[in-house]
Amino acid sequence: MCHRTVVAVQREIEMKGVPTVLITVSPEVSAQMRPPRALYPNGFKIGNSLGKPGLRDLQKKVLRDALTLLTENTRPGEINTREYPEYGEYHEPPRVKKV
Amino acid sequence: MSISRKCVPFTPFEGQLSKSTIAIVTAGGVHLKDQEAFNIADELGDLTFRILPEDVETSDLMVTHHHYDHSDADEDINVVFPIDVLRDLRDEGFIGGIARKHVGYMGYTMQLKAMYEGTAREIANEIDKGSRADVVVLTGG
Repeated sequence: MCHRTVVAVQREIEMKGVPTVLITVSPEVSAQMRPPRALYPNGFKIGNSLGKPGLRDLQKKVLRDALTLLTENTRPGEINTREYPEYGEYHEPPRVKKV
Repeated sequence: MSISRKCVPFTPFEGQLSKSTIAIVTAGGVHLKDQEAFNIADELGDLTFRILPEDVETSDLMVTHHHYDHSDADEDINVVFPIDVLRDLRDEGFIGGIARKHVGYMGYTMQLKAMYEGTAREIANEIDKGSRADVVVLTGG
């Protein structure tokens, strides 16, 4: 849910003319709302958008990568997945229920 | 929702990150300890948001949210609200600065129309008017 509403906020900010990037750990849910720019750190669990507590180097890497998407030729509405082996875990992201 | 899902609003970034001021918006229920907590008793959710100042100390922040496990954020708020991480990137020269205002809200709501047409626009207005942000980073929690 939070990963849906946050895209609504993101889109409103873009409409004000301010570029944005979303870090999502629920990529299928966020993708439904078509975020202007988004990074999915592969396998991070909900509540760990930037990684784990205290892992500042990992947190910096995720934030740097998210910001760097602004300078890249990304496709609006698509989510960019990146790998961070130093996270050390893999969590299946929530799936969108097919109706 | 009034916005077409096929048409994605998109503002190109034409500046340089090293000269840009960054704001954070999180749906992870982050607020100052002395601000009113989000109302998790209401099943419909809470449509309000909290402004977080640029000089906020992470020890003054907390999470009120009942739809995700925020024990890691309780230990280190930067996992959902990366303000210290942003400060490190500023000190390294990767970004130019920290915006004046950041926003925390609780992304869980059953009142989607009010969220999309009310809260989302109000947050965008706050960022646009008072934050002086060149770029906004959002986290879902």
